[in-house]
Amino acid sequence: MDEIAPWEQFVRGTALHHFVYTYEPWVWPTCEIIHYLGLSLLLGTVGLFDLRVLGMVRAIPPRTIHRLVPFGVAGFCLNVVTGIMFFSGHPDQYFYNDSGRLKALLMAIAGINILAFYGTSAFAEMKTLPSGADAPMRLKLIAGISLAMWIGVLICGRFLTWFRPPFFH
Amino acid sequence: MDAFLSFIESSDLSMWIRGESMLAFPTIITVHTICMGLLAGTSSAIDLRILGVAPAIPLGALQRFYPMMWLALAINAVTGVLMVIGYPTKQLTKPLFYIKLSLVGLGVWLVYRIGMEVLSEPGQKAETARAQWLARASLATWVGLIIAGRLLEYTHRWELLGIRAVT
Repeated sequence: MDEIAPWEQFVRGTALHHFVYTYEPWVWPTCEIIHYLGLSLLLGTVGLFDLRVLGMVRAIPPRTIHRLVPFGVAGFCLNVVTGIMFFSGHPDQYFYNDSGRLKALLMAIAGINILAFYGTSAFAEMKTLPSGADAPMRLKLIAGISLAMWIGVLICGRFLTWFRPPFFH
Repeated sequence: MDAFLSFIESSDLSMWIRGESMLAFPTIITVHTICMGLLAGTSSAIDLRILGVAPAIPLGALQRFYPMMWLALAINAVTGVLMVIGYPTKQLTKPLFYIKLSLVGLGVWLVYRIGMEVLSEPGQKAETARAQWLARASLATWVGLIIAGRLLEYTHRWELLGIRAVT
């Protein structure tokens, strides 16, 4: 499969692609560094919140540790931006990559899980939990899925290198 | 030095780590990344709390995350050593690697001091100048450490003994 699909031709025609492609020697490492910082922010805030809901360090009420989550969202936004830059630079290396596809799927599941949390009464229920409380099973399920998905996304991201498609456009 | 590097690179363990199996280098570096994220992320969250974010979080309770952080650090020490055993010439012949190790030492020391001075009873004062300084230094160290770690992949001259890097 070595013909370039129309969508890929479109991506390769964009200004962003030309920027990343032209200045790749410094753009790529810089984006990777920002990407790792973003993931650390995400894992350290959302991850900690998930661990609390799952029962770790119960002295902290979940709603107070949830105040750190906006920093995780900021980290996620950094990763979306750098991710778009990576993709624009070499779209085929991500689209035709099994690890890349799994990563996208896990992110989609994480997104649905986020909707299940903030879009239902689960969020309000979380806020009522005091210090020392054990969260109900429904909240633990959401937290468990969240933690598993984000760690899965990290694993898939790291494994991208070894699942590269055999061709290189 | 060359004899030492050659000795490591010719060992069975080193060759296995560099080998084709997904279980070796890919898994080792992925575990390293996960624990890095947990360690740096948790420490950064604690630093942010000390600097005033989410002030309702009780400082003393944050100490309970320390066992997890120390475990992540231990796992990273092991995976880090394994990766150096896999590619000793690549890492041990460049200054950036030693800078990274120094930053790890600094980061660990800062996490330890924050635990002893800011999070433990009695005291638990985040507002002191010392606590603020420790938290800022810790955040800066994690940023520096992640930068150094990422750049390790781009700044080596030797892949293996006698074999120049491709980039």
